[in-house]
Amino acid sequence: MQTLTYSFPARRPVSRAVHIGVVGSGDLEILLEPPDATHSAISASVRVRTSVVGFDTVWHDVLHRFFTHTPLAGRWELNDFGATPGVVTLRLRQAAESAEDDNG
Amino acid sequence: MTSATDDPRADGSWEQLLAERSFIELDALARAAALVDRGAVRVLAGPFDRIESPWLEPQGITPQSDDGTVIALGEIGGAPVVIAAVEQRFQGGGTGEVSGAKIAQALTLAAADSRAGRPTAAVILFETGGVRLQEANLGLNAVAEVCSALLDLRPLAPVVGVIAGTVGSFGGMSIAAGLCTSLIVTPQARLGLNGPAVIEQEAGIDEFDSSDHALIWAVNGGRQRHATGLADVLVPDDTDRIRAAVTDAIGAGAAPTDPFRSRRLDVLGSRLAAVDPARPPAPTELPRLFGPTYAPLPARPTASPPPATGPEPRSRGRAWLSALADGAVDAVIPSVLRVLTDTTLYLAVVPDPINPYHRAREGQVGLTESLALARAVTELTDADRAAEVKRAIVAVVDLPSQAYGRLEEMVGLHQAMAAAVDAYHGARTSGHPVVALVVGSALSGGFLTHGLQANQILALDDPGVEIHAMHRAAAARITLRTVEELDELAKTIKPLSYHVEDWATLGLCDGLLSVDDADCPTPADIATVGNALAAAVDRGRSGPMDLSNRLDSSGAVRSRHASRRVREVLTRQWHE
Repeated sequence: MQTLTYSFPARRPVSRAVHIGVVGSGDLEILLEPPDATHSAISASVRVRTSVVGFDTVWHDVLHRFFTHTPLAGRWELNDFGATPGVVTLRLRQAAESAEDDNG
Repeated sequence: MTSATDDPRADGSWEQLLAERSFIELDALARAAALVDRGAVRVLAGPFDRIESPWLEPQGITPQSDDGTVIALGEIGGAPVVIAAVEQRFQGGGTGEVSGAKIAQALTLAAADSRAGRPTAAVILFETGGVRLQEANLGLNAVAEVCSALLDLRPLAPVVGVIAGTVGSFGGMSIAAGLCTSLIVTPQARLGLNGPAVIEQEAGIDEFDSSDHALIWAVNGGRQRHATGLADVLVPDDTDRIRAAVTDAIGAGAAPTDPFRSRRLDVLGSRLAAVDPARPPAPTELPRLFGPTYAPLPARPTASPPPATGPEPRSRGRAWLSALADGAVDAVIPSVLRVLTDTTLYLAVVPDPINPYHRAREGQVGLTESLALARAVTELTDADRAAEVKRAIVAVVDLPSQAYGRLEEMVGLHQAMAAAVDAYHGARTSGHPVVALVVGSALSGGFLTHGLQANQILALDDPGVEIHAMHRAAAARITLRTVEELDELAKTIKPLSYHVEDWATLGLCDGLLSVDDADCPTPADIATVGNALAAAVDRGRSGPMDLSNRLDSSGAVRSRHASRRVREVLTRQWHE
């Protein structure tokens, strides 16, 4: 297992907490919370815990691309069990949509 | 095997078929929400409480924020209900310290509310491969605590088990399934004690070919369990039908028309009498042999067992039972020995080289052993019902495991073990001090059945004493490690360790006893252990009747942070 931390510039702070996904084979769970006092309100701070070691650059690229399109500030925790980049992006989008969906 | 009468879709049209909404495809939270009124659930100890397993990350395994078990409060038919839903995709639904503690504590809180005049039913959505081997001893103990809490709640409010699939229910949690007030299954469900792969690994491919899916479903499948009376309701994988079945089961109340299956020693006995292990029935013959209801079969003449020849096999269980108990050793069956004195019932499971069940010849707990234990304990509780001082029960434990066999699974080993667990729990909660004395191996489901329902657990401090969820070689294979890697990890991760002194740090041990000769106890050894037993019996009489001492002991304060946090957080949020 490997723990990776990243920070990306972001503009819109999320207003509520969201939980998406499962730490199941080829999948991941995401916990997204609004920024708190210890975190910058204009950045997305991301912690990734992944069962697959050695994909630091891939994680960075996937996350960088997502936060460039979707600059949602908050605390992002990703618990990964071998998800492919496509699945990671899908789960990130799901989390973002749930966090911004006022009716959800 | 499929006939119009046992097909849960027999009355459905193709329009209904198309309108079905799969329950199996839902995750744990969605399953819980699908069962309650208006889908309104309040999740307790959820993802943002972050009560993760503390044991996975040090082993390089990504934990999940809620440890893969959702505890949700809601209402069904306007009445309060707590749902414990296991997420099958996280670690195959394996029961760990945290996930097990969440279920046990949810059941405990439901029982407390029920006692306080607010009956609260429980629904357990079983999807589990058994004890999570990465948390071995704490997972095994968690299952014992789940069973105990379930039995505490069951007289007060219905406990409904649902096995939808696709993982099904295997391992110790299937004992809990066998204790439920009622059990609902789908054709995709599987229910058994030992999973097919484990049986093949332990007993060879002739015993169980785990690649033979037709065989697996013929033995463990929901349809077969329903057709043989081991499950109450068979429903298709449709959310509305499952919700309706759960609603009906809760509506039937805490005391259903039929007594609890795990109390029906008469049925279990008559079923075992109907099976000849030398000529085991085919799975297809079983529904006719047993019938679809869990009712006693007509008595039939049973062949008396052949007389034992040759010397009795050496066994620590036999040695310590004869040494400690001041009385005549009598065999409930050849593999279950009993000594009954004015003060104490001693019980031990011992090897029987001519056991008709060939997978139970080395002292494993199998079908007949479970029934014999349940009968012996129940006889004592019945005899002492009016007594002011109830006699103590000492479970002398030296058993290599439960019996890994195909016939055992066909007949329903989980249900037989549930009978013994129910009997031990019943004895403990009616005031009998129950002490487990581990003198040798205490592995897996065998220990759940004979030992882990005790108020007090003592163990000899001896290299031959081994307490674990699975023996070394198998545990290594299943967790994809070598035995050396497993031993190395166990140096820092105590619940994984095979050393009894490590086990004793987990908070489950009420005494680690030094002896000179664990195989042939010396007079001094007998005195040491005898005194320790007497003290444990006294503590059992004055201490709590539930298993809370395993959470409040000084060892638990040090080692079971996570379980204690679950208790605290769930209790607080429950009452918010």
